Amino acid sequence: MAKVDDDALAYTEELPGAKPNDPIYFENEVIDHLIGIVLELGAQFWVTRDRLAFLEEQLAANGTVSLEDLEHGRPSDELQKKLQEERQEMIRKVYGRLYQRIGGDGAEAKAAIMS
Amino acid sequence: MSAEQATVEEALYSRGKVAGVYPSLTTRSDEAYIEFIEDARNLLLHAQQRPIGQYSEQLMREADMSMDPDPENTSAAIDLLMQDPTLKTYYRVKRSLQESFWSALSGSFNKRRETILAAFEAAENQGPGTLAYDKSGEQPVQDYATREIHIQPGGYANEALAGLYYDYGLKVFLGGAADFDRLSKGVAMATAVPEDGKVERILDLGVSAGATTIALKQKHADAEVWGIDISAPMVRYAHVRAQQAGADVHLRQMPAEDLDFDDNHFDAILAMLLFHELPVPVAREVIAEAFRVLRPGGKFTVLDFPGVRSRGVYSMFFAEMDAADNGEPYLPAYVRSNVEDLLVEGGFELESYDPATALMRGRVAVKPLD
Repeated sequence: MAKVDDDALAYTEELPGAKPNDPIYFENEVIDHLIGIVLELGAQFWVTRDRLAFLEEQLAANGTVSLEDLEHGRPSDELQKKLQEERQEMIRKVYGRLYQRIGGDGAEAKAAIMS
Repeated sequence: MSAEQATVEEALYSRGKVAGVYPSLTTRSDEAYIEFIEDARNLLLHAQQRPIGQYSEQLMREADMSMDPDPENTSAAIDLLMQDPTLKTYYRVKRSLQESFWSALSGSFNKRRETILAAFEAAENQGPGTLAYDKSGEQPVQDYATREIHIQPGGYANEALAGLYYDYGLKVFLGGAADFDRLSKGVAMATAVPEDGKVERILDLGVSAGATTIALKQKHADAEVWGIDISAPMVRYAHVRAQQAGADVHLRQMPAEDLDFDDNHFDAILAMLLFHELPVPVAREVIAEAFRVLRPGGKFTVLDFPGVRSRGVYSMFFAEMDAADNGEPYLPAYVRSNVEDLLVEGGFELESYDPATALMRGRVAVKPLD
C-alpha cells in the first residue's frame, strides 16, 4: 500500500516560504526586504515608462490626450510589442546580475515549464 | 443582447479581453504592472531553472551528497542548498514576485468588485449550461480547501472573486502557456475515453476557472459535460467563462470526495492538477468516488505532477521549496504518495503512465469491466 509518513515531512513546514506572511530567506532579513524593494521599484518604474510611452503615442497621433484614454485605453499593438521588447531588455539588464555567478544572466525568456 | 449579458460585458470585459479569454485589468497602469511581473517571472525564474538546477546539483556533488529522494536526504539537501546566497536569492525573488502579483491583481479587480459580483449574479440563471452552488454560504467547506493555495488572497473558497483571480493567476504563472486556452485544449485532447467509443457523459473534477470543462465540451460536443469544484466562487466564475465560450456545461459546487451522482454514471473523468492540492486521505476518497461514478470500462485521466519514484533528490528539493514558496501545503505528501499507486489501490487498472508526460498525458486508469 502506498504510504506517506507525515511526520517524516515535518521539515517542510520549517521552510522559509511555509510562513504565510513575511517569510525570510536570508540570515539578514534586510536583504529579503531589499530584494522586494528593488523588484517593486522596477515594476513601478515600468508602469511610469509605459504610461509615458502611451502618452507620447497619443499626443503624436491626436495632438491631445484624455485622462480616460490613459487610464482605460491601451497603446497600439505596435507600441505594445515595442514596449514588451524594452521591458524584457530592462529586466535582463537590471536584474540579470542576480544570477551572474551561475551564468544565468544571459538566459532567454521562455514560457513556463512546470516542475 | 440581454440586460444580464450587458451587465457581464460591462463589468468584466469593458476593456476587452487579454489573450483571448481573460477579463482585462481595470486600468492600463494595472496591466503594465502585471506585464512587468509576467516578464520578470519568465526571465528571473523560468529561464533560470536549468542554470539553478545545474548549480544546485554541482553543490550537492561537491558535498558528496546522496541522490536518494527520501525525506531525510531531501531535508539535508535543503539545509545545504539554502546556505547558498544565489539560491536564496532565486527563491526570495520567486516569493516576492508572487506576493507582488497577487497584491496588484486583487487590487485591480477589487476596484470594480461590486459590479463584477453583480455580473456573476446576473449570469447565474442564463444559459448555455447550468450552475448550482450553496447560495446561503452556510454550507461548511472542508478545512483543507480553505488554505491559501498559491498564496492566492482568501484562498479558493473564501474569496468571492477567487475564480477570476485564479484564472488570471494561471495566465501569469504559466508565462503565456495558457493564453487563448491552448493548454486546456491540449488537456481535452489528452482526456482518455473508453475503448468502445461511447462518450455520453464526462466529469471534470476540480474545475477551477472552468477552462478544461469548456475544452471538454468543445471536443465532445454531443456529450453531457459536468464540472464540479468544492469552491462556490470557482464555479460561479467558471459559469461566466463557459457562457463567453458558448459552452453548454453543467457546473456544481461539490467536493470531489462526496459526489452527488449515481453509480456508473460517467464514461470519462478528468482530474487536472487536482490531486496535488489534496491531503492524501482525501485523495483516496476522491479516487473511491471516481471509481463509483465511472462506468465499467470508463477511463479516469489524472494529469498532475510526477511522483517521487521518478525523481531524484534535486527534483524533490525543488518541489518541496516550491510547495512552501507557492502555497502548496499538500504537494510534498502528494508527490511521495505516487498517485498511480493510489489509483491501483482504489480498484483501477493503470492503462498508461509515463512520468515524463505526467502533466500533459497523465495517468490513465480504467475501471475494470468485471
